[in-house]
Amino acid sequence: MRRETAGRFLLCFLAALYFLAMLLSGGVNRFLSGQYTISAILHVGVPDDEGAGIAGKVAALPPVREAQYRDPEQAWAEFLAAYPGLGSLRGEGENPLPGYVEVRLRPGWMSDEGIAAVRSALEPVSQVEKILTGGDAMQSLLRMKRWANALLWSGFALVCAVFLAFLVMQEKARATRLLPEVSFLAGRGVPEGRIASMRTAGAVVAGSFVALLATGLAYAALLLAARHLPLVRVTVGSAEELLGTGSLLPACLFLLCAAMLQGLASLAGWRATFPKGR
Amino acid sequence: MIEAFRVGAVSRGRTLWEGVDLAAGKGELWVVTGPPSSGKTLLLHILRGERRPDSGDVVVDGESLYRGSPEHNRRFRALSGVVPELLPAEPGKTLEEMFLLSALALGGVTDEERKGRMGDLLSLVGLAGAESVEVSSLSVSERARAAFAVELFRNPRALFLDMFLAHAGREWADRMGALLRALAREEKTILMMERRLPDEWQAQKAPSPLSAGPFTLYRVGAAPRAPKEKGRERQSQSSPVSGTAEG
Repeated sequence: MRRETAGRFLLCFLAALYFLAMLLSGGVNRFLSGQYTISAILHVGVPDDEGAGIAGKVAALPPVREAQYRDPEQAWAEFLAAYPGLGSLRGEGENPLPGYVEVRLRPGWMSDEGIAAVRSALEPVSQVEKILTGGDAMQSLLRMKRWANALLWSGFALVCAVFLAFLVMQEKARATRLLPEVSFLAGRGVPEGRIASMRTAGAVVAGSFVALLATGLAYAALLLAARHLPLVRVTVGSAEELLGTGSLLPACLFLLCAAMLQGLASLAGWRATFPKGR
Repeated sequence: MIEAFRVGAVSRGRTLWEGVDLAAGKGELWVVTGPPSSGKTLLLHILRGERRPDSGDVVVDGESLYRGSPEHNRRFRALSGVVPELLPAEPGKTLEEMFLLSALALGGVTDEERKGRMGDLLSLVGLAGAESVEVSSLSVSERARAAFAVELFRNPRALFLDMFLAHAGREWADRMGALLRALAREEKTILMMERRLPDEWQAQKAPSPLSAGPFTLYRVGAAPRAPKEKGRERQSQSSPVSGTAEG
């Protein structure tokens, strides 16, 4: 019994960890949104305060997580860092590079729609000379992102299926072990439906405890990992984000689903052992 | 009132018996005796509504257990108790757990009430303080008495006992017999399946064998009846409660 509960807990913990990580990361969305930027190149000579103003307005757009204005000097420094040895291009004259606004999207908006929304907001701005969104390469990147996400969610579905199969097998074995008790109760006029419903209710309550413990531990493990492992921070999110209501609500939903799943598995295992109207 | 009409059973393609009649009313104690493998346990299952007879019918309180509503059958099983020939003894299962199951079947029993009644009943069958004892560690006699106590916990209206006296042992047969007669006086219907009637019982009250074939039926220590019921009682005693063996 203890080994069974430990196995159930472990699988529930894995499913909870996977679910929370997927939900917070959006698959590869968060990682990509951290790497991908849209650059709005301003005309040469646009004042810094105007550039900062544009960045502020763009930052207010729903798809945008962060928009930062880089003045021409910062642009030149970045250029030199990327292409050392081209400092002679500036010569004694003025900085040939214009300032630009660097836009980072929210993980959930890492899509054609998100990019198009930012583009359409920036295009009418007269100070903007050019918008760099990645061009044609972006399309294949987004397609790959969709495939990667589908693969990751399939992995979650597989974990859930294994969890469910494990639960049903466990419940079937438990029901078989309970055969003498069931025969005793049925022989004394206790309706079969009542026995099944009592057992299902018990499984939901016990399942809630297991799920609560597993989800809590998965949450704590993610928090700890986000605090200490940069890779987790980049792919899943920061500890602060994990503590937000946006992740607490799905965690509660998972808890409820896991408890219900255990109740259903109990009923399925029961019905497999004691078919209705036998 | 439990009535069996021309009940017959077939087992492994062989007719065990047919045409068994029986009528057991409130406060009556019946003992059905028969040789080994004559189908006593099968008859008990049939009379209790657990196994449909291959011929005939069993009627309880005017409604058939098999042709009536399933709810009637279920209610009858809820109101009756059964002491099996051998109490199943899974490793680790204690007597207290058996009482817990009985309380669950009864429903609405508080923990305190359950513990109190469990203690009383175990004392009654000579197993005082055996609550935490594993069933598998009990002797055959102790198991039979424990199963009896577990059934009495639900205070059933009718009791079916399979080889109870034989398993309870000579030492306990008198005491258990007295207890059963006392239960019969409390208007309970008691049906027992035994290989033979204890000698002491025959010496105390000479029952007349009421049947032929594989079974012999005895009516023991009927409770005093009201005058208007006496006629029916006489009829019941004199009716041919018989069985015809075949094969």
